[in-house]
Amino acid sequence: MFDPDTDLVKRAGAGDRAAAQALMARHLPKMMSLARRMLGSQAEAEDAVQDAFLKLWTHAARWNPGKAKFETWLYRVTMNKCYDRLRKRPAANLEEAADVPDPAPSADRALETADLSAEIEEALASLPERQRAAVVLCHHQERGNIEAAEILGISVEALESLLARGRRALRAKLAHLRDE
Amino acid sequence: MERNDADGHWVDRTLRRLPTTPVPQVLEARILKDFDRLSELRNTGLRGWLSRATAAVWPGAPVWRPAMAFGAALAIGLALGVLMPLQDEASASEQSASIMLDTPPTFEIGENS
Repeated sequence: MFDPDTDLVKRAGAGDRAAAQALMARHLPKMMSLARRMLGSQAEAEDAVQDAFLKLWTHAARWNPGKAKFETWLYRVTMNKCYDRLRKRPAANLEEAADVPDPAPSADRALETADLSAEIEEALASLPERQRAAVVLCHHQERGNIEAAEILGISVEALESLLARGRRALRAKLAHLRDE
Repeated sequence: MERNDADGHWVDRTLRRLPTTPVPQVLEARILKDFDRLSELRNTGLRGWLSRATAAVWPGAPVWRPAMAFGAALAIGLALGVLMPLQDEASASEQSASIMLDTPPTFEIGENS
C-alpha cells in the first residue's frame, strides 16, 4: 500500500523541521475542520489539534508504515483527542460553544449566513458524538465509508448505522431547510 | 462512496453551507514549537547519545537495528565462549591420562599374598 506521507513522517521523526512543516500544511486544515465540527468551538479545536500533532511528533520516529495508512491514524488520533475533550466537559452549553463564523460580503448576507451556519452547527452539535463523527467524516470531510470506519475503529456496518441515524436526526432538526 | 439516497445528498449540501474553519498562524507556531522542543529533548541526555551513536554506527537505521546486531554478536560470542573451554578441558584430561600411563605401577608388598 503506497502511503504518500511515509517519507515525510520518517524525516520528521529524524528531526527534519521542513518535513514537519510539510506534514502540517498537508493535514492541519482538515484536522482543524474535523475538530471544529466535533467540538463546536474554535479554541477547543485548536487545542485538540495541537495535542494530536504532539502525539504525532512523539511517535514519528517509531512510525511503522506497514500497519495503517498514516492519514487514517492521524485522524483517529484527532478524533480521540476530541472525544477526550467532549468527555471532560461538564454539561455542554451549545450556545456558548458556537463560535462566530467567518465574515461574509455584506452585512445582511453575513447575518443570514451566520444564522444559518449557527443553526446547522447547533443541529450537528446536538447529535450523539458517534453519530456526529460519522456524519462529519462522510458528509463534511467527504471520506469513504471504509476509511471513516477505520478512523472511528468500527465496522463499516456500524458506521452505516450511525450515518443513517445521524442523517435522520439532522433531517428532523433542520426540516425547514429542506424546503429551500 | 455510494450515497444515492436523497438524505445523503441533502446532508452533503447542508454541511457545505458551514463556513471554512480558519487555521490561525499562532496555532501553526505552537505546533512547530512543540516539534522543536521534542527535537531538542531527543538530542540531549542518554536518548540523544544513543541516537547519535546509532547514526554514527549505522546511519539512517532505527536504534533497534544496531542494538539487534550487537545483541546477536554478543550471543554468538557467549556461545563460543561457553563451548570452547570444553575442548580445552577434554585435551587436559587426555594429557593427565597419558601422564598416568607413563608412571610405573606401584604395588603394595604382600597385598595379594
